[in-house]
Amino acid sequence: MSTGAASMRKLITSNSLSMFGLVTVSVFLVVTVAQVASSGAILPYNAYQPSFVQADLPPSLSHPFGTDLLGRDLLSRVIAALPIDVGIPLITVGLSAAIGIVLGTLAAFFRGWLDEVLMRLTDLFMAFPTMIMAMAIAATLGPSLVNVTFSMIIVWWPPYVRLVRGGVLAIATEDFVSISKALNSSFFYIVRKDAIPNVLPTILVYATFDVGSALLTLSTLGFLNVGIPPTAPELGMMVSNVGNNLFLFPYQIIIPAVIVAAIVAGFSFLGEGIRESLDVKLRPHILIRTKPAKELEMKTQ
Amino acid sequence: MIALRDFLPYLGKRVIGAIGVLIGAMLLVFFISYILNPNPAQLWAGPRAHPSTIAAVIARYHLNQPWYVQLYYFLQSYVTGNLGIDPQTGKSIISEMGFYFPNTLELVLVSMVMIAVLGVASGYFAGMHFGTKIDHAIRIFYLATWSSPYYLGGFLAILVFSSYIPLFPSSGMYSLTLASQPAHITGIYILDALISLNGPAFLSGLQHVFMPAAVLALLDFGLVARIMRSSILNSRWSTHVKAARAKGLAEGEVRRNHILRNALIDTNTIIAVTFGFLLSGTIVIEEIFSWPGIGAFTYSAIVSIDYPVLVPCVLLFTLGVIVANFIADVFYSLLDPRIALGEGGGAEG
Repeated sequence: MSTGAASMRKLITSNSLSMFGLVTVSVFLVVTVAQVASSGAILPYNAYQPSFVQADLPPSLSHPFGTDLLGRDLLSRVIAALPIDVGIPLITVGLSAAIGIVLGTLAAFFRGWLDEVLMRLTDLFMAFPTMIMAMAIAATLGPSLVNVTFSMIIVWWPPYVRLVRGGVLAIATEDFVSISKALNSSFFYIVRKDAIPNVLPTILVYATFDVGSALLTLSTLGFLNVGIPPTAPELGMMVSNVGNNLFLFPYQIIIPAVIVAAIVAGFSFLGEGIRESLDVKLRPHILIRTKPAKELEMKTQ
Repeated sequence: MIALRDFLPYLGKRVIGAIGVLIGAMLLVFFISYILNPNPAQLWAGPRAHPSTIAAVIARYHLNQPWYVQLYYFLQSYVTGNLGIDPQTGKSIISEMGFYFPNTLELVLVSMVMIAVLGVASGYFAGMHFGTKIDHAIRIFYLATWSSPYYLGGFLAILVFSSYIPLFPSSGMYSLTLASQPAHITGIYILDALISLNGPAFLSGLQHVFMPAAVLALLDFGLVARIMRSSILNSRWSTHVKAARAKGLAEGEVRRNHILRNALIDTNTIIAVTFGFLLSGTIVIEEIFSWPGIGAFTYSAIVSIDYPVLVPCVLLFTLGVIVANFIADVFYSLLDPRIALGEGGGAEG
């Protein structure tokens, strides 16, 4: 296992894209964990208490991000929002991947009517526009963090089922699986030893990229004031609450929106970088790309 | 090119598949709304509605009937095309959707043209300069815009190009002060202006649509650029390109006919698929730019939990995704005949 971790580390650090993503993601994860573990003690100011004498202060040394229209420190608001804005996408993607692994493996192993039913259902869910369906479900269930997570998962799982099913189908015909079957291995043994280890890298790369997309959808729900309770700090919601102040206090909008973009970019760069490093077709060209272009053309011909 | 004899059965199969998905989606929407909200009269009538209002809502939407009777009325309304009256405005829902949808179509189609140009060009350059600074710069740019939320792009555009440098209007579809407005022909404003040869209206329409469409395009072209880049990388070192060079073809000809043309097969498909993405994106963009489209209309239905309007809107968006995927599949089979001729064919894999 230690060699796996070492090669993983080498994989990430050898690519500047994934390196940048790793650093960004780690920073936000550390702050999130610190915020949750200290139950808010790391905040420089109270993130909830309005203080109208300090309303709409521009960024300064004492308030690096300025204050919002109720006089709350924006830096504190941003940090207080991280458990929601990092946590809910992670939970959504994690549970969707779990659903995908269970349903995808079942469909690929048993084929027949079960496969047919599961895949048609997946097709149907894939046809729905993600954002609108999540919004409609969240609005129906009423504002709460649990409901919004639930409505995200309902629209989020289908690609994982397809991905896992495709991956398991690809290895199901391999010799080592047939031999394992011939040796009378149980279904769970084959799944645990052969199927999951083989699809996991693909799922992980896709999921890394996908956490960012989930955050984009979540913060858009917040921006449109659907599903997220008005008292919860959420980055998209912070943008919409100052909508009318755009021309007077642009920093109140730009800062939370840029934080969202930074978190999403962190996950996207990490996923894209790992995907590129794992791409067998590109690997020889990456290895020789330090050489001059002319030489490279010669070599490939 | 593929022979018509092989293509027609394939087309028929795809049409039946698309209709099947649409019917399934209708049933699924019905059951999801029924399970989430088995007794919606209170919700639709409002929290402080009088009991007689609630009774009227129950009677009008058959809410006291068992689910299969409700399902019958639900399907009947779509078969007859009589979707009823919007409780918010008192107008016919189908005519309201007919008014808003062309506006969204204008926004999305203009945006798709921009995406096609931006995505293909940047993906081609990144792929042909693989591993160089140009490649890195293009990739970092499209990954960064792809990671930005729509509201960031929308507000930044308004701030910079409407407020600091007043180039484009920040809201609306056309100037209300024009001497003459074009007649309502297709409902798509710039197209109507073009058909009725109304120059000022056409320019005003273009000026209004440019910024929201450009924001949508800039934030979503990454998908196309990424696929274009990776298909360029797939084809530029492949054996058929080596063969073309070995034949002694000029480098320009190799790039145009053997690398670019092959890479465009995958990219064409993805451009059609972005239609679905863009439709979803219109909700935020139409809110920010006060664009009178189906996204803003759907949003108002979602906020007021107005199911009689919300359900047809969700189905219209779903239909948009299905049609886009269908066009993508057909494009793909026309460009790459192996798809239609292969066994099964189509969406699998």
